[in-house]
Amino acid sequence: MKKFLLPLLFLFLFFLESLFVQYVPADLFGHHQITVPHFLFAALLFLMMFVGMKQGIIYAAIFGLLFDIVYIEIIGIYLFLYPFISYLASKIMNIMQTNFFIAFLVSLFGIALLEVGVYEMDHLIHVTSLDFMKFIRLRLYPTMILNAIFIIVAGYPLKRMFEKYAVTRRDE
Amino acid sequence: MPQFFLNKRLIILLVSIIVLVALIGFSLREREKLSWPEQFIKDTSGWVQSLVSKPTNYVAGFFENLQDLTNTYEENKELKSRIENLASLEAQVQELKKDNEELRDVLGEEKTLRDFEPLPATVIGRNPDRWHEMIIIDKGKLNGIKKNMAVVTANGLIGKVKSVTQFSSTVQLLSSMDPKNRISAVVQGETDIYGLVEGYDDEKKLLMVKAIPSGAKIEKGQKVVTSGLGDIFPQGLMIGKVVEVKQDQYGLNQTALVKPGADFYDIKTVMVTKRSMAQADEKDLTDGKEEGS
Repeated sequence: MKKFLLPLLFLFLFFLESLFVQYVPADLFGHHQITVPHFLFAALLFLMMFVGMKQGIIYAAIFGLLFDIVYIEIIGIYLFLYPFISYLASKIMNIMQTNFFIAFLVSLFGIALLEVGVYEMDHLIHVTSLDFMKFIRLRLYPTMILNAIFIIVAGYPLKRMFEKYAVTRRDE
Repeated sequence: MPQFFLNKRLIILLVSIIVLVALIGFSLREREKLSWPEQFIKDTSGWVQSLVSKPTNYVAGFFENLQDLTNTYEENKELKSRIENLASLEAQVQELKKDNEELRDVLGEEKTLRDFEPLPATVIGRNPDRWHEMIIIDKGKLNGIKKNMAVVTANGLIGKVKSVTQFSSTVQLLSSMDPKNRISAVVQGETDIYGLVEGYDDEKKLLMVKAIPSGAKIEKGQKVVTSGLGDIFPQGLMIGKVVEVKQDQYGLNQTALVKPGADFYDIKTVMVTKRSMAQADEKDLTDGKEEGS
């Protein structure tokens, strides 16, 4: 049972994102802003930081692929960016000590990097024609605020859970 | 630092970038249908989503009902004033319909571009990254949905079916940018003016209707509907109202900014329209340009 806990948690977050955009009003922080939930990715970064790099990257790749197939229908964008940014974040964590505040900052940084990365890719394949300054004003700010709130609320339980999981894994 | 770019990490990075480009290229090309692993995953997730979305729909509905209750008095007032006009309008419509039917009988033409069979569906998911605006609905191939069918709500057109799996399908909204996604539209007025719905202004939340001839006179508040010429959509589906008209970059065409009739965010149930009239052959399609009068 405990083995399935982690995949179930991520699956829950995976569907939660979709429900979030469907039911929460679009103009959460003002009329023209676009807020994007990245709850799944925040949790994946926490997993990488508190359990291990290898696990984190494997989960990131699997859920990136799932995200691409189910929601985007363009395979490759999240499949590449989730593990790549997880890897970069793990490099940063090598020189930092792991505590909640650092984890908060690093995962926020990772989410910002993800948004910019997706923007650049979508710009390249003509999915968007937004220019960069507009993108920052319309999307990046509100998205960062929303995800910061999520990490503050859900980060601590996630950290506790992953630490416990890491301990049981080491014991086995 | 140089160590970072040496050894096998660099190779892994390069290989994954090549794979990435290949995968994106593979999924971007015009596909008739999704490959079977994709269909399988989408069906499975669609099943989970339809399980989850029912209880959440109830909860969300409950809160909405509470909100509605507070507005009841004012709404009632407004609706009462509207209902007076409605009776006369209804009689008029009835008469026109009868007239139309009779004339059609005389002509011997039964089906028109306007006819379609509506197929109700529930929204079970939405793409969380808001670049590709897509929703997932709970009806699929088994219910008779096909690619490219028009999807409407009570207030107007919202998009078209992008891909179909057995039990669910994905709808691409009008608000998503896709250079391949063009819809032939008519600005209703004394003379019909044709244009193409092409693109969406993210900041102003308005649709852009392009390729309108520069001489055409368009006024604010005129209604825009689908023309039915694109061979995909039925005729006469409401798209929105004109808000602003501006000249194109080179002054050859005009672009009208249109406020969509349907809300692209608060969507719960939709209707997929199955056009009754037979579609034209492939070779006719290539000649038939969606040009204005």
